[in-house]
Amino acid sequence: MVGASGGAAVVLLVLLAWPGVQSRAQTLTVDTIGSTLKIRAQGFSFLKGDPLVRLKDGQLVRVELTAMVLRAPGQPVVATTRRIFALSYDLWEERFAVTTIEKRSQSITHLSQPAAEAWCIDQLGFPLNALGSRGGELTIWIRLEYRFLNVENPSESEESGFTLQTLIDMLSRRRTTDSAPQAIEAGPFRLRPDRVSSSR
Amino acid sequence: MSAQNFVMGSLLAVTAAMRTLGLLITMLAVSPQATTDQKLTVPEGTVITSVQVTGFDIERLSPGLRAGIRNLSGTPLEQQRLDELARRIEAERPHHVAAVRTLMDVEGEARVFFVVGLQDQPDRDDNVNARYIVERADISGVPDGELTPALRDDLAAVVGKRLNSPEAARLRGRIERDLSGYDVSRRIRRGSESGRIRLVYEARKREQPPWLRFESLRSGVIFHSEQGWGSYLDLALGSRNVRVTPIVAIDNSDDFVEEYSGFGLRVEARKLGTRRLGASFEWSRFDQDWERATLDALALDPDIPVLYETRSTVTPLVKFAVTRDLSVAAGVSIAELEPLSPAPGSQTANAFLASIEYDRPWNAVSDATHRVEAGFGIRAGSPELESDLSYRRYFGQGTYRFAFGRHQVQAAGMAGGITGDPPLFERFTVGDSRTLRGWNKYDLAPAGGTRLIYSSVEYRYRGLALFLDAGSVWDTETERRVRVSTGFGFHAGPAFLTVGFPLNTDSVTAIVALGLRVPGVGVQW
Repeated sequence: MVGASGGAAVVLLVLLAWPGVQSRAQTLTVDTIGSTLKIRAQGFSFLKGDPLVRLKDGQLVRVELTAMVLRAPGQPVVATTRRIFALSYDLWEERFAVTTIEKRSQSITHLSQPAAEAWCIDQLGFPLNALGSRGGELTIWIRLEYRFLNVENPSESEESGFTLQTLIDMLSRRRTTDSAPQAIEAGPFRLRPDRVSSSR
Repeated sequence: MSAQNFVMGSLLAVTAAMRTLGLLITMLAVSPQATTDQKLTVPEGTVITSVQVTGFDIERLSPGLRAGIRNLSGTPLEQQRLDELARRIEAERPHHVAAVRTLMDVEGEARVFFVVGLQDQPDRDDNVNARYIVERADISGVPDGELTPALRDDLAAVVGKRLNSPEAARLRGRIERDLSGYDVSRRIRRGSESGRIRLVYEARKREQPPWLRFESLRSGVIFHSEQGWGSYLDLALGSRNVRVTPIVAIDNSDDFVEEYSGFGLRVEARKLGTRRLGASFEWSRFDQDWERATLDALALDPDIPVLYETRSTVTPLVKFAVTRDLSVAAGVSIAELEPLSPAPGSQTANAFLASIEYDRPWNAVSDATHRVEAGFGIRAGSPELESDLSYRRYFGQGTYRFAFGRHQVQAAGMAGGITGDPPLFERFTVGDSRTLRGWNKYDLAPAGGTRLIYSSVEYRYRGLALFLDAGSVWDTETERRVRVSTGFGFHAGPAFLTVGFPLNTDSVTAIVALGLRVPGVGVQW
């Protein structure tokens, strides 16, 4: 009986964790350029499903990307960088365009889908001195999250269609027009003053 | 060089410079919209002698585009090629517009200017398709007769202009408001020729909400600083029209005089052949605990019916929707009350039930939403149902909610009266986590009362709430004393915290209530 309930608890935990952290054939690596830590996410795609359909329908899609540096999985976040991007798809040239949503916005056009996604991730950098390495070796984990903002046609929820996800939404006070955040996490990465290595 | 030639040369140079300057000023004043409507002023094939980009640093363009522009010099003029380069400038700099102007100089050669300007920030459009001209705007999925002239005008207004994404999105909202009963989505498609697009609004008939509503779900775990912890959990399982709801209550004292624990099951159908007809059946069995204050009050008033240890209830109901907003229900409630030992035998409180409910949400012209809920019900304990207790209970309540952006106002009122000998679970109470916050019901009327009057006003800004409650519960033979309370609260999703203060009393004791209220937990398939 105990075994059965323990198994059920494990299944429940897995189900709860499933939407939050996905580990697929996606490689998250880090790189230092000058005094900035850059993230590379080979094979990581956030333009899929409904947002991609909306882009192909000529609509503007806003995505918020958040990169976090952690000492270890589940540990407090050491540093965070967050940017919002407006993506659109040129219907005639069949290429993607990206603009950062900020006062001094940056734009880039004529990108393939992987290039557009890579450009967004490339904008997420951390100043090395903000990570507190103090010149010594530092082991970090990286968590990359994305969520789509201001979905124009959110599906109406039925009065009693309450799900675990809506409870999570209520608890997190997320706007109903924003999508649930998705994330990948990787590490450990060893930062040295002169180079970065992965111990994966 | 003679002085005359020098003067003539200088005059020609000044004249050419002034013409160029005047042309530039004229071009800079041209609306960006003119890009596609420009007229060819220089014949095709004229050799281009110079190319200039004005209003923008050419070095900020990509090397390929810079080369494409610079390589125009010495080539025959091709308007299509120039337009293509202007489009590429706009593509690389989405917040800019580029216009091409050509000029024939005195030697019969062409000079080309790319005039680049920044789009006005209020019209900033991050959609790369904003540089394309809307050639058509259509609504599909709606009979033409349902489109109002105003809507047609709105659609026509976007045609012939560059795509304005925010305006196109706003137009979708306007269409959805005009076409009540439809969900509208927006798509953009390629037009009939390069650089042209079509705006398509697809309308789909919205599935109409059922006319009859299921019983409201009210799961919650609540702590009251005077009444302790309690919880009531109801989990709805079912489909759109049929629902089964298991109920579990643990030490819940938020509803009645009694504190009860137990379980129940409710089965509901809201479409029995027709959307107007529904039915429900509820069974429950709850064990009671009684507050010391209630026991003391009962000891002083022998007219109040006896305490019970267990309450088992069966409630079959039939519901009929008169309109979408108005419904009536009728049925019976069969309750068996097991007395506290050593009292002999059980007691029954069987009653006819009848109620009428009105629930109407609506949206104003703006984004404000309103909702009115009202109901009135009668429960009549009758010997005809072999009830040991004979009574009539009348209860009416109404709520109005107004929400505008982050602001919410709610006004609620309740009134009721009971005649005869009602069981304790039928007696009215106020002074819990929802009503007369700031007062404890066991201090006001520990055994409840047969008369009730209550009103409440609450204002919320985001999660912060301020409220003012007033009400009274009394028996016919006792004095009616209206109590007032005020306080504040915090609401974050299902979590809440309220702090209430009684007003018309010498005691300034805050009453705190906190917990989770989840209005509907369930699984629907």
